[in-house]
Amino acid sequence: MTDAPHLHQPTSAAWDADVLIVGAGPSGMSAATTLAEGGCSVIVLDMQPTPGGQIFRNLEANSAHGKNGKNDRLLAALGTSYTAGLKLIQRFRAQPGIDYRPQTTVWEIRPDGTVGWLRGMEGGYLRAPHVILAHGAMERPTPFPGWTLPGVMTAGAVQTLLKAGNLKPEGNVVLAGSGPLLLLLAHQLRQLGAKPSLIARTDRLSNSVRAIRHLRMQALGPVAKGLGWLAGLKASKIPVVSAISQLEARGDTRVESVSFTAKGQHHTYPCDLLVVHDGIVPSIDLSHGAGLLLEWDTSSHSWQPQTDTQGRAATTSDAPCTIRITGDARRIGGAEVAIHHGRLAASAILAALGKTSSGLRKARAWYNNSLSARLFIDAAFPPGLSHALPDDKTIVCRCEELSAGALRQKIRSGCTNMDALRGETRCGMGPCQGRNCMITVARLIAEHEGHSNPPVPPAFRARPPLRPLPLGALANLTNLDPSATELLTLEDTPSHTDKGGHHAQA
Amino acid sequence: MFAPLAPITAPMTLFWEGKPLAARHGETVAACLLRAQISHNRLTPVSGAPRLPYCMIGNCFECLVEIDGVGNQQACLTLVQDGMHVSCQNGAASVPDVSSHD
Repeated sequence: MTDAPHLHQPTSAAWDADVLIVGAGPSGMSAATTLAEGGCSVIVLDMQPTPGGQIFRNLEANSAHGKNGKNDRLLAALGTSYTAGLKLIQRFRAQPGIDYRPQTTVWEIRPDGTVGWLRGMEGGYLRAPHVILAHGAMERPTPFPGWTLPGVMTAGAVQTLLKAGNLKPEGNVVLAGSGPLLLLLAHQLRQLGAKPSLIARTDRLSNSVRAIRHLRMQALGPVAKGLGWLAGLKASKIPVVSAISQLEARGDTRVESVSFTAKGQHHTYPCDLLVVHDGIVPSIDLSHGAGLLLEWDTSSHSWQPQTDTQGRAATTSDAPCTIRITGDARRIGGAEVAIHHGRLAASAILAALGKTSSGLRKARAWYNNSLSARLFIDAAFPPGLSHALPDDKTIVCRCEELSAGALRQKIRSGCTNMDALRGETRCGMGPCQGRNCMITVARLIAEHEGHSNPPVPPAFRARPPLRPLPLGALANLTNLDPSATELLTLEDTPSHTDKGGHHAQA
Repeated sequence: MFAPLAPITAPMTLFWEGKPLAARHGETVAACLLRAQISHNRLTPVSGAPRLPYCMIGNCFECLVEIDGVGNQQACLTLVQDGMHVSCQNGAASVPDVSSHD
């Protein structure tokens, strides 16, 4: 595994593998398999206990139970887009040369190929001449009044509970927002006998009509599938309201009702679980934390890392950047696009290493072909819940409970820089480290300055650890950079060679 | 809010605030607590507001709980273990010997 003699550079510490991959979802598994097949040693770090990413979450276990009939209903409800991942997972598991490390979080990435990891109370660094970030997407944060109440969850969260928790929602379940995932979830819940009591869509028919000009042959399959879901919802008489705005969750200690405006009328419905979704955006925590350049994408209203077609990331420095970004962490495309791009990024590394360049052209063609369905989806489901900025009373920073009004006041008083605003208000300083407020805060600043889009790069400066790192793990980090640890021992104290030896006291 | 899709076979025991709960092998602490219909898993450090899991994929940190005496654990990323003691994360994480609530 650690045997990679052809890659050693005289100035570097020993590499732990040829390639480090963060994330074992569609793109990460596909990249790892391609690289290992091409003769590379690969370490894959992933937060979840089993491979598959969020889309294929818990697929191995659900498929194994399927034999005695117990989970057949769940598998049928989750559909072929879920079960299609099994072959990829099996290939990933069976491929020698992949060192797969589940339940491992990554709290630091450096452009030189150093990755800080944590598993339980153990942590350390790994190094490789190539790093692939395949850590996926997150649901677009959607601040609205009451979104912090217990009983408000994202569509992805409810899907995770179906796949990995064997739980279905019950009571008055209201789905609100936009995007294919919302309709897919409604379809899945209906199949499982957990019919939503209402679907409140922010998108409207005119979005779909306008999207038709983006329709390509490759998109016809997904579109037909989507129309099938809608027909099923209609047949089972689930009320669907379109073009809603001003969504609000109400309740004292938990959500009790939901209200919104549609066609000029105000509606209120009883609600036990409010499920919201407004599309997905690339997770930029790791790429931003590594100091890679971001760009604002006006069509998807989100940041994405600047990359070339083969996923190579861009930095401000002239030093070579060894990081590539693939899958939804690079730009939103869904599982199929992610699988093809993972293969493309991996083929590019194989070509760069002089191993084989035969797969590169084919991988690029497949990737380009798979992209074409996306234009229609983006046009048909524009951001809805997050379209208008929240009113003053709405909480923006869930961790520090800061309202849009409090932030606007600070911005008006001159804090128009993200980091100054964070220092003044603690916005983005809580446990989530700005993952859920950063886009909204940047848009609030842009609103104040009269821009329709945030100027780039208005992101909170990120510093490691990017995820919680227990002190006990920090004190025992393995594989420290030898050149950095030397500095720690330069303290002006008598040397204690008798006790502790190499152990740094700091 | 949530109901099990299938009965739990060969359950493990997880203790929530000292009370035993049946837990399914391979599920996360967050899934177990939601099935048990708890009202909240944490109270915020700022206003003391109750919270439950929101994103379930490790991004929102709303599912923070105390596990076996260690605070600020993400329940959605932690698998249940037999005999695990889980309690509500009341405000900021505290050192283990803080004894009184207000």
